[in-house]
Amino acid sequence: MIAGARQGRPSALRRLVAAAMARDLGTFIIPGPDIARTHGLDIEATGLHRVTSPRHASVLLVIGAIPPSLRESAAVVYAQMARPRVLFVLGTDKLFPLPAADVMADLSQQELIKGVRQLRSAFAEGAFYPEVSDFDAPVLQVRIEYTCPMHPEIVRDEPGSCPICGMNLVLREAQAKAGHLHIDHQEMGASMDMETASTHAHGSHHSIDHGAPVEYTCPMHPEVVQDEPGSCPKCGMDLVPRDAPAESSHEHHHMAHDEPVEYTCPMHPEVVQHEPGSCPKCGMDLEPRETQNKQSHKHSGMDHNGMDSDMDHSSMDHGDMAFMSMIDVTKDLPRSGDGLPMEWIEAPFGPFFPGLPSGLLLTLTLDGDTVAGSNARSLIENGELLQSSSMDTGSFVERLTSFDPLAPVAYRYLACRVLENVAGMDVSANTANARIGALERERIASHLGWLALFAQQTGFDWLMRRTTSLQLKFQHADLEQIVALKPAILTLTKRLQRTPLLKSRMAGIGLLARDATLRGPVARATGIGDDARSTDKVYTTLGFKTVSRKTGDALARLHVRLDEIIHSLALIEAAGAIELPVPTIIGEVSGTGEAVVETPRGVARLRLTLEMGKVTTAQLDTPSTHHLALINPLIEQQELGDALLAVGSLDLSPWEVRQ
Amino acid sequence: MTTVLLLLLLAVGAYLVAVVEDWTVSGRFRLAAPVLAGIALLGRESIVPRKPDRIFFEVAPFLLLVSAILGAAVVPLTPDLIITDMATGALFINAALVYVLVALLMAGWGPDGAYAMIGGWRFLGQLIAYAMLIVMPITAVVMRAESLLTTQVVVSQAGVWNIIYQPLGFILFFIAAMALAFLPPFDLTTSKGELAGGVEAEYTGVRLAVFRLGRLALIITLAAATVIFYLGGWQGPLLPPWAWSTIKILAVTTIMLLAGRYMPRIREADLLAWCWMLGIPLALLNILLVGVLVLVFP
Repeated sequence: MIAGARQGRPSALRRLVAAAMARDLGTFIIPGPDIARTHGLDIEATGLHRVTSPRHASVLLVIGAIPPSLRESAAVVYAQMARPRVLFVLGTDKLFPLPAADVMADLSQQELIKGVRQLRSAFAEGAFYPEVSDFDAPVLQVRIEYTCPMHPEIVRDEPGSCPICGMNLVLREAQAKAGHLHIDHQEMGASMDMETASTHAHGSHHSIDHGAPVEYTCPMHPEVVQDEPGSCPKCGMDLVPRDAPAESSHEHHHMAHDEPVEYTCPMHPEVVQHEPGSCPKCGMDLEPRETQNKQSHKHSGMDHNGMDSDMDHSSMDHGDMAFMSMIDVTKDLPRSGDGLPMEWIEAPFGPFFPGLPSGLLLTLTLDGDTVAGSNARSLIENGELLQSSSMDTGSFVERLTSFDPLAPVAYRYLACRVLENVAGMDVSANTANARIGALERERIASHLGWLALFAQQTGFDWLMRRTTSLQLKFQHADLEQIVALKPAILTLTKRLQRTPLLKSRMAGIGLLARDATLRGPVARATGIGDDARSTDKVYTTLGFKTVSRKTGDALARLHVRLDEIIHSLALIEAAGAIELPVPTIIGEVSGTGEAVVETPRGVARLRLTLEMGKVTTAQLDTPSTHHLALINPLIEQQELGDALLAVGSLDLSPWEVRQ
Repeated sequence: MTTVLLLLLLAVGAYLVAVVEDWTVSGRFRLAAPVLAGIALLGRESIVPRKPDRIFFEVAPFLLLVSAILGAAVVPLTPDLIITDMATGALFINAALVYVLVALLMAGWGPDGAYAMIGGWRFLGQLIAYAMLIVMPITAVVMRAESLLTTQVVVSQAGVWNIIYQPLGFILFFIAAMALAFLPPFDLTTSKGELAGGVEAEYTGVRLAVFRLGRLALIITLAAATVIFYLGGWQGPLLPPWAWSTIKILAVTTIMLLAGRYMPRIREADLLAWCWMLGIPLALLNILLVGVLVLVFP
């Protein structure tokens, strides 16, 4: 039996269905296919096929150790999957709040294939089971609470009325877990906003608080206005809140004389005159009203009671106001750039969104499909570089190697360099060249990985397949294999030049001006020659030239990365060797040092203090930290597809974001 | 009898489309894959999201399927093999397929999820972009046939197929048909990379199976419509009419399914701008050209 079995007696027919299901396993990958590729895993080759919605997945594949915040999102994804579902875990046993794994294996392609075989038989055997238990995790629990629409500070566990304004409290959902305010339910929607994380697109209308001060007035005596709740000095009724007149909309009583006012009979609307008097038909006193050139919703305030509250339309009119004014209905809705009031929704994209780097949570406020606001952050807490106050150099190098799974070689190189700088040592020319070989190979693989993500986002299947397989081949290729792969790369870049729609899809999207905060290919796409390699002696002797473009849009970033792939091939050939950096033994050195490396995403800078051969402080500056801050202005007022493309084109690594 | 036979043929056709699609996606030709996928979907839970618009959510997949089948009802595979040779057949296809929009809009609204809803709205936004480019090229086709009978449209191409006679109309119709079937690169409404599946994202189990079946039927209906309007329908040398129909429909389907794999998804703004500012004027020009041709070479 599998933990996520579907309830039902395993009859003969169900066994048959289970056997069919075991042959067709939709897989949702956590953290994502980018991490799978860096581990050298070819998921599709094992017969699992990747799906982009948890709803369509039968397998949740967890790859390697993932940070606790991502595990919580993973638990939500698991809860969203339709039964029968299995949890397949590679290379980690820290899973809480996910349930125990149904199948476990080590992190390698062989183990993965073996695991898939186990998975299939587990699925065929145990997809149906008479009794199943619910999956429950703290992140999934929802508490129902009641709040006043006017006074958000009023929150009760039970329905009732607001002590301030007397309105009925309305129901809302909150996460049960306390002390977790920074992740609300919608964000927990992980990649999908379902089940616990529905955005309630119909129900909750995202109204923007205009910040108008609330004042309190008596329903019977509108002239009584005060800033605090209380009772009316004239009649003793509780005062009701209303928005302070931000413009002039509520000033009927004061402005009545400035406006053209007509007098009409409440019973005979056809009787209209410019002066007060009585109705010639029934003798009733005529009532004043504003003339028709005013906006219709203002009429409501002009009745005899002077009921000027927005909150109680029904009591304002004499029954002749049966229609709902669009202006009234939409007055609290936020305005789009074109001035139209629209409902806005807030939707989470990430941390497992198919078109974005895994671990990135992009929360978009959408006005239709235009981005009205955004908040981007990394859900990967990768803050502490040093596990203790002092760390020996060997483990520090390992720590940095695992710091960013998307660029392990660059950070390993950085750690080795900075240690050598502190010790004042240098490596031989051959070693230096071979290290550069490894760095450039990683750059090629990383850029190919970015291309695969771009292809996934834009549905460019051919490119995705091609770059995925090339990245897997490049990652651990030796010099000969790399030379052999060169024609494939050249074909790929030529093919991209001829691809229809590519240019119109990317040109002018994600436009960035020259800016000192830009790094790496993003900076070089704006024409800045910012590249740590251009000042490196070893690189210059290998014939390094900075690659750059001028336009600063997503298309320029694509071209910079493609050119860099080709240039890196040349650099590897010139270096003539590939060798992962090995830390030099530096002994019990004390001192401070700094080093820079051009990672695939731009310059990373590390500053270290060593005491007696132990690392005591470390400061790391990474490119993605700077690029993350660019997102908000970059995508504001962009169409959703363009916004996602712009974010994707930055090639962020959420793992290296320093918060 | 014909109806049953044609519905069976439609089912077989949808199955073949599924095989071809699986081949374009996975690179392997597996005849059994759609059966397995179908059974697997039936065996899985069919989840109802928490705050659905229940009627919309339930009806949408069926509406998509019904709309595609209605469209297929006026497609002749041979001169006699047609469910109903309606006097307004050519127009009826267009009318039936309007419900594709309704179905997708309902599927987007129904589950109360942001991704689905944006997917639904996107399709609504494209309405005129593709709908005009379906109906205006059809106008030119029936001008030549001087009849709205789909069988008559095929017969009118006995000398020269419409793809030669009015290539502009063919290109416009083909592109619009792909957009109407939300096939890549026009899959804005179900895009995986931008909306994690869009209107499909919240459907599971049986409902998803119906939705996907509807989509397959829609693809084959549109491919068949392309064949009868532009590729001479059942006409061809040597082989019997039904064989020609089958070959042509499958060929068009394959091209439709393959094209999107080799390019990125179109920008929504570009699709709208090109359809409105380029497509519609070209469609009008096509009508004019065909009008002149019809007058000059009656």
